[in-house]
Amino acid sequence: MANYKPVIGLEIHVELKTKSKMFCQCSANYFGKKPNTNTCPVCLGLPGALPVPNEKAIEWTILIGKALNCTINKISKFDRKHYFYPDLPKGYQISQYDEPIAVNGQINIVGVGFSDPRYKGGNTPPLQKIFRIRRVHLEEDTGKLIHSGNETLIDFNRSGVPLVEIVTEPDFDNSDDVKRFLEELRVIIRYLDVSDADMEKGSMRLEPNISVREIPNSKFQIPNKFQLPKYKVEVKNINSFRYVKQAIEYELERQKEILEKGETPRQETRGFDEKKVATYSQRSKEEAHDYRYFPEPDIPPLTFTQDYISSIIVPELPQQKVERYVMDYQLKFDDAFRLTRDLKIANLFINIINNKEIKKNNIPIKFIANLFINSWLNKLRRLPEKTNERYVDEVVDAYKLRFQIGEAISSDKYDVIIDKVIAANQKVVDEYRKGKENAIMFLVGQVMREMKGKAEAKLIISKIKDKISN
Amino acid sequence: MICRNKKPSSSLSKNISNCYNADMKKKELTKEEVMHLAQLANLQLTEKETEDLQKKLSETLDYVENLQELKTENIIPTSQTTQLTDVFFKDGVQDKRILLPEDAVKNAKRKKDGYFEVNKIL
Amino acid sequence: MSLLGKSVTQLRKLIEAKELSKSELVDYFKKRIKKYNSSLNAYLTVNEKESEDKTGSLNGIPLAVKDNFCTKGLRTTASSKVLDKFIPPYESTVTQKLKEGGAIILGKTNMDAWAHGSSTETSDYGPTRNPWDVTRSPGGSSGGSSAAVSAYLAPAAIGSETAGSIRQPASWSGVVGLKPTYGRVSRYGVIAMGSSLDCPGPVTLTVEDAALILKLIAGKDPYDATSSPFPVKDYVEGLNENKKMTIGIPDEYFIGVDESVKSRISRCTGILEKMGHMIKKIKLIDPKYAISVYTIVQRAEVSSNLARYDGIRYGNDRTYFGEEAKRRIMLGAYTLSYGYYDAYYKKAQKVRTLIIEDFKKAFKQVDAIIGPTTPMTALKLGEWEKYPFFGEVMDVLNEPAAVAGIPAISVPAGLDKNGLPVGMQIMGNYFCEGTILNLAHQFEKETDFFGVVKKGLENCKD
Repeated sequence: MANYKPVIGLEIHVELKTKSKMFCQCSANYFGKKPNTNTCPVCLGLPGALPVPNEKAIEWTILIGKALNCTINKISKFDRKHYFYPDLPKGYQISQYDEPIAVNGQINIVGVGFSDPRYKGGNTPPLQKIFRIRRVHLEEDTGKLIHSGNETLIDFNRSGVPLVEIVTEPDFDNSDDVKRFLEELRVIIRYLDVSDADMEKGSMRLEPNISVREIPNSKFQIPNKFQLPKYKVEVKNINSFRYVKQAIEYELERQKEILEKGETPRQETRGFDEKKVATYSQRSKEEAHDYRYFPEPDIPPLTFTQDYISSIIVPELPQQKVERYVMDYQLKFDDAFRLTRDLKIANLFINIINNKEIKKNNIPIKFIANLFINSWLNKLRRLPEKTNERYVDEVVDAYKLRFQIGEAISSDKYDVIIDKVIAANQKVVDEYRKGKENAIMFLVGQVMREMKGKAEAKLIISKIKDKISN
Repeated sequence: MICRNKKPSSSLSKNISNCYNADMKKKELTKEEVMHLAQLANLQLTEKETEDLQKKLSETLDYVENLQELKTENIIPTSQTTQLTDVFFKDGVQDKRILLPEDAVKNAKRKKDGYFEVNKIL
Repeated sequence: MSLLGKSVTQLRKLIEAKELSKSELVDYFKKRIKKYNSSLNAYLTVNEKESEDKTGSLNGIPLAVKDNFCTKGLRTTASSKVLDKFIPPYESTVTQKLKEGGAIILGKTNMDAWAHGSSTETSDYGPTRNPWDVTRSPGGSSGGSSAAVSAYLAPAAIGSETAGSIRQPASWSGVVGLKPTYGRVSRYGVIAMGSSLDCPGPVTLTVEDAALILKLIAGKDPYDATSSPFPVKDYVEGLNENKKMTIGIPDEYFIGVDESVKSRISRCTGILEKMGHMIKKIKLIDPKYAISVYTIVQRAEVSSNLARYDGIRYGNDRTYFGEEAKRRIMLGAYTLSYGYYDAYYKKAQKVRTLIIEDFKKAFKQVDAIIGPTTPMTALKLGEWEKYPFFGEVMDVLNEPAAVAGIPAISVPAGLDKNGLPVGMQIMGNYFCEGTILNLAHQFEKETDFFGVVKKGLENCKD
């Protein structure tokens, strides 16, 4: 029996958060608007309308290309890609065919195989792999279809929003790597601040192309040079990274079964059913669309000078930041990794480290990192932002408490208990407010009891006072 | 129009037929090719239209073969006679051209609640 | 005072001198339209709306506009039943400029449906008839505009040319028609036919009127990425420079041309020589190759530009397309389809480069190139069906300038042996509209177009 090696490539679409659309001046922010309230003759495809490209969208596509280590083509252009569908107003999409903006890039993904049994975690150098980027190009988004009873309704608010398409080489051979790659790509895109890259909102979409290659077992078979399988299955309609993994796993199994029977899986496009955790057939990719590409006659070609390309500066990317934190702050890879997933959090971390108060109190960086990682990360993502000073205060408070209790108690825990005590003792609170100063000690005692004595009285007093004098 | 080795005549249509080199292979589109094209072009054709198009398209394709007489190996194809490059619009919302929602759907035969409406797409 | 045949320039003077009111003038043309349009079918839609009172270089001048220009609130059909009830919610740049210049749009004129043709016979609303002989075509695709001017149902009109669609009907209808350099005038709002070829332009009774209108409508448009930033000259000012030019005459443009057309053109070039211009024989690539280039590139772009007409957001569905539209869409799809792109579209664009280089070389030797506008004069209605690709074949002499994108103007050059107008075209280098307008104006002053325009007005008296 033969061995099977998965051959997976990815096609990712990222919606740019430019102010206006790709070829007109309607807002690119269409989310939540009433239908067809954000259109103009251009993005509605009215007779006589003409496209004029958005300068920023092009600049950001070059930025993405550079961040992915691509070569930026000195000459590029737009092409028309023809097919008929009700959400495509012109009957063609303005995209790029043979002269895209960026080609031949790669990303070095560190930390692949977290779930790989060989990875021991902690201080072990994490595994890394290089995944090649075939191309990065720019195009426009379509309108949205909504199915309602016996009709389909169409809203063109989204029509014409800039989309960057990133196509990888089929370098993936397992679903974990795909997930890790997509997570890294998403963080990179967010670092560049060119897109929200949010799968749920549709500002990041992906389609894996999946095939399986047979590897001959017998030593008597002359091994072929690496030959791509003669088919590939494209899976659409995947709405999260978790589902990507499931879809790939399902497909690999399905395709292996077919190959084991001696047949070849059909080249086609399939959808993913989240409930059944299975893919299903949609349409045949082999009656491949004849897109009849030709150069867009309404838009003059693009030329990029070396100076212009150089002027587009790629900020420090997540992987560089991780390496720098490991080196500069002696953090573990895992910790540095977690701290850098969100640029805002990473920046907050750095701000706190460099803060005068923090330095005055000689609070170690490791302590701060642990505080972030063990207690704060989730809340930081969800709660509205506070000022840096607030966060600094909380760090200082937490640090002061650490010896008294053997572990730092986060300010949050105090708040929860204090609020509980206040709520349960409104009469005492009223008395304090009326002027009975000592009443506060009763509340402090209650809090101390809840915390089993492991608390600092002064801090509790000031917190209670804060809360009840509002 | 110059037709090599033929005497120019005053009638335009005569000139066209004189330009056909009898030795040249005539381009003949099959019915299947025409039907496939119609599908690509999202056109519905009757039987008669399909036949008519077979003939007419083949005649036109035959004529344009004359381009093969000209050598173009190292010639760059023209896509813009203007020789313009790098024409952009600055990023930013402008209200001037944005259509009122009523105007956006005004010319549609079928609409519902501000949406355009079509038969259900499977 | 009879207004019949007064040019735009003359009418402006009358309005400015308050000898004529704007409403009087509009009423005058509306009366004539009522009288003659049912027999000529030049107008598809007459504008009943009140126009805004703006002042500008075309203050109070009524104009006819070809029905492929989107006019806000005024029905626009491109003479196709697909757009039978289409009312654009926006204004094309050209008509916007006209309105801001004080012009009044009288109505929308008939054309070959989607501009696919050279006789206005593929219109879904019936053909337009030539005022010189109503059994004949006025030419196309701007046939309605040309007939309207020829019959003085408007003192001037706006047309569009992809290859011949202004020059050829101007020639068959005995009026002046100017195709500017591609990119000189914005295409925003013009229902696209051949995106790399379409040029809006004026159809007028005099060269001065053409210069005046061009000055108003030319210029870079931020909504059209192919519009040129090349500065707009004062084309009217430039008419009076008495430049003596070197004029190239290519033999290739006389082959297959009717004898009486040839002799009229020879007479004209003889006159130009007597006026002091130098006539020089030049060699140009045979126009027959331009037919192939144009047929492929135009039909490819047509097949693409007509893809948006699915009947969902506006108009009727694709079953409403006429036969000619279907033919062109199909051929265009074929030349772009998988496996054929290199052999057809790419090859055509390469030969296009050869034609461009050919003209560039010629204009190093000459200031202008002259030839007949069309090989023959107005055909009888119905004859077009005999040709497999009539439009492209009829425009053979117009296609080289069209695919190159250079400007060209057609002026009346007399009448043929049947008393039908003959047109002479003057082609110029890129953005040298001033040169060809100047030469055409000199010619007009010298010959008065052999009385052709005046005679034409006798077809449709007040």
